[in-house]
Amino acid sequence: MQLSTSEISELIKSRLENFSTSAEARTQGTVISVTDGIVRIHGLSNVMAGEMIEFPGNTFGLALNLERDSVGAVVLGDYEHITEGDICKCTGRILEVPVGPELIGRVVNALGQPIDGKGPVNAKLTDKIEKVAPGVIARKSVSQPVQTGLKSVDSMVPVGRGQRELIIGDRQTGKTAVAVDAIINQKGQNMTCIYVAIGQKASTIANVVRKLEENGAMAYTIVVAAAASDSAALQFLAPYAGCTMGEYFRDRGEDALIVYDDLTKQAIAYRQISLLLRRPPGREAYPGDVFYIHSRLLERAARVNEEYVEKFTEGKVKGKTGSLTALPVIETAAGDVSAFVPTNVISITDGQIFLETDLFNAGIRPAINAGISVSRVGGAAQTKVIKKLGGGVRLALAQYRELAAFAQFASDLDEATRKQLDRGRMFTELMKQAQYAPLSVSNMAITLFAANKGYFDDVPTNKVLAFENKLHGFISSKYKAVAEAIETSKDLSADNEKALEAAIKDFKATTAY
Amino acid sequence: MAEISTIARPYAVAAYKLGKEQKALAKWSEMLGFATAVANNAQMQAYIQDPKVVSSDLQAAFLKVCGEKLNENAQNLIKVLVEYGRLSILPAITSAFEELKAQDEGVLDAQIIAAAKISDKEVKDLVKRLETKFGKKITASVTVDPEIIGGIKIVVGDTVIDASVKGQLQNLAYALTA
Repeated sequence: MQLSTSEISELIKSRLENFSTSAEARTQGTVISVTDGIVRIHGLSNVMAGEMIEFPGNTFGLALNLERDSVGAVVLGDYEHITEGDICKCTGRILEVPVGPELIGRVVNALGQPIDGKGPVNAKLTDKIEKVAPGVIARKSVSQPVQTGLKSVDSMVPVGRGQRELIIGDRQTGKTAVAVDAIINQKGQNMTCIYVAIGQKASTIANVVRKLEENGAMAYTIVVAAAASDSAALQFLAPYAGCTMGEYFRDRGEDALIVYDDLTKQAIAYRQISLLLRRPPGREAYPGDVFYIHSRLLERAARVNEEYVEKFTEGKVKGKTGSLTALPVIETAAGDVSAFVPTNVISITDGQIFLETDLFNAGIRPAINAGISVSRVGGAAQTKVIKKLGGGVRLALAQYRELAAFAQFASDLDEATRKQLDRGRMFTELMKQAQYAPLSVSNMAITLFAANKGYFDDVPTNKVLAFENKLHGFISSKYKAVAEAIETSKDLSADNEKALEAAIKDFKATTAY
Repeated sequence: MAEISTIARPYAVAAYKLGKEQKALAKWSEMLGFATAVANNAQMQAYIQDPKVVSSDLQAAFLKVCGEKLNENAQNLIKVLVEYGRLSILPAITSAFEELKAQDEGVLDAQIIAAAKISDKEVKDLVKRLETKFGKKITASVTVDPEIIGGIKIVVGDTVIDASVKGQLQNLAYALTA
């Protein structure tokens, strides 16, 4: 027997004191059938769509189908004990989850109940999982960066606070790795992170949590887990629950980052529920409103203006904007982006990071395809220094791809072409980055600066990363002031530019790589 | 059950409309009640469900058992039901019909479940209060169920007013464990 913290006599006393014994008038119904977690109920004439329904044994369900003679509901959790003829009641409430800073560092399920064995979450507030996204008036355009710490992302597809950037790719292309690296890099950036795992193996989720813990990222991260063995209802609800937890921070003038890993599984869970509820199937057997489940979720990721925050907090927080940045993940099958769910989510989001199996297998990791990855709004939010220095990367890689295809046939190339090819090869190599090793803004700037100025040109391709690594170490030990100046100002002044150039020359002259 | 009530609705509505036109709702109610009782008879049930019975035989047999109790219209209803193979949903038709009739008359059925026997005066008082709450005439049926420990529980259609000790104990249990 384990004594839980909710069993303290004072707590029980206050609960007994506050317990009201008034008669309750509620609408009730009878269970007609229970099949695969779907319950059909006769009665419940006043039930609302999305209302919680109470079953015997403190089990709850969600009313999804309101038909003429029956109500179709999905049970949240175990349904084996519900039998035909059971009485169920309306609660008059929409599903709520606990929200607040108490959840940080915890692993919870889609209902906000802890599953990490660290005792109860003593959250003071709960909030509805389905909410309407902020309107046009409440919003502000994206202008602050989210540093992912990945060279290829921050320089080519920058993400801003409040943006929705899709991470898309086949299985085993490093989608989760990009998202987890982005979370790890949020240390000290005033960002609360939420990782929503949908339909993944429990072991995979445990691995991610362990990696986050090892890198000190659980100190500012909430993990919402709906594993593959959880019911489809929970897998469907987990993203909304996570989003509500993120909105808590957004509405209070703070910044939050949410990763939905992945929305394909959520769509599949929703398809299962819909088919069992006998809703008509459409393309790929998805129901008609599969676009809406993703659009209403991703629309809640937003940057809200000062007035909204002030109004929401009743004047307690003034002059601060809040944001919820979303990194939804979509898994494609054999690179098919024209499948139903990928096209939907591509059209909803503000850009996508495209990961490819071929690049991954060629050792280019993160396997980002620079040609088709875009960020539609992130440019306005990019750090000044990265914007200044990273502009050439995209161009160099684009020219390289064009030439590389052409150069396969030509045996004899002129000097200019060869140089461009070498440069492209060098940039491709430079964009590689190890997992769990995000770079600071200053280090990223140093790398891009050195590459732009041609200091990498005489470095053999296989030594590029070693060179970069040693250069960072050299500058942080010998020219710390320059690195710190870049880090704090997020810009490269003319003086610092000169100092940095001198430092790199010094490094090349004195150090072997 | 849901699907049966969906199938039964058009038959019940048809019978109700005809009864209303003929101003014979009470008569219809009586006839449907009798036919349902016949259909619920175990022997008749077996006969209805027997796949070997030809529908004309079933029709004749059923009407013969009912005899003079059914008028021409009700007999026609039975014929239609037999023709469409829907005789088994007769009880659902009757209950849907009774619902429509009660709605028309502005009457609601209330089930009052009490832990101990309650006096007629108390029932009258309760009915009066329920009538003001629902704005309809209430016909109450009282049952005694010691299971609910104390207090009363009132069921009116889908709505349940639970003022029983058992219900309150259950709520307390949830409040303490949640």
